[in-house]
Amino acid sequence: MPLSEEKAFPVSLDALKDMRDYVATAAAGLPIDKKKLYKLQLAVDEIATNIILYSGLNEEDAKIFMACEIKKNSLIIQLRDQGVPFDPRHKLEMEKACLSKPTEERRIGGLGIYLAITGVDEFRYEYMDGFNVNCLNVNFC
Amino acid sequence: MSFESSLDMTSNGVARITLSGKLDSSTYREFEGLIGQAIANKAKRVALLLGGLSFMASAGLRVLVFAKQKLGSSVDIYVIEAQEQVVDTITMTGLEHSVTMLDSYDAAVVEKF
Repeated sequence: MPLSEEKAFPVSLDALKDMRDYVATAAAGLPIDKKKLYKLQLAVDEIATNIILYSGLNEEDAKIFMACEIKKNSLIIQLRDQGVPFDPRHKLEMEKACLSKPTEERRIGGLGIYLAITGVDEFRYEYMDGFNVNCLNVNFC
Repeated sequence: MSFESSLDMTSNGVARITLSGKLDSSTYREFEGLIGQAIANKAKRVALLLGGLSFMASAGLRVLVFAKQKLGSSVDIYVIEAQEQVVDTITMTGLEHSVTMLDSYDAAVVEKF
């Protein structure tokens, strides 16, 4: 199945539930177990949260565009936005380093990228035509 | 189901915080507010009753770290009845070492000083 038509979501934390629901709809009927689907929804939630809070976009004049694709035995969810270029992978090592610290010494917040990237089978990012393009893949049997 | 939260204090100083629904960046302030109330009430322990919590993003972890740091090491935090995926999220980030996980609320454990 080629990439689906994109669906636009407001750049608002109130849209997170609808984005997670979009993932559930995309996965409906596919043999993806509950745990994997949860992790994919969590990954989308975290990437979208990062866009909403830190991309510099505002709700009035910008959107987050989501699309899905089924390729062989993978479900791919794509998020596109026109915020400041940001490759989440660049933040991964910093978040991983936080994991080895005792809770008392941890920075409050900042584990979302770690959960997103490690929770899916493949994470890809590119900056193309003025858009951040985040792709999250999960495999199924 | 949307997010719902509540706090009640036992007579012996345990702050029982019940969360249900989905905890994400749009809802975590509510949870953080209840931790603030528990601190203001000088809670001796905090019991998080999570049986009805079906989703927790990193915003929830943020509040756990906040709670641990603000309450201090003398105030134990119990995570009770958490669903499998929520437990996974906590353990993936190493926070299970900072809390005590229980399958159900046991007053003989949580309220024993």
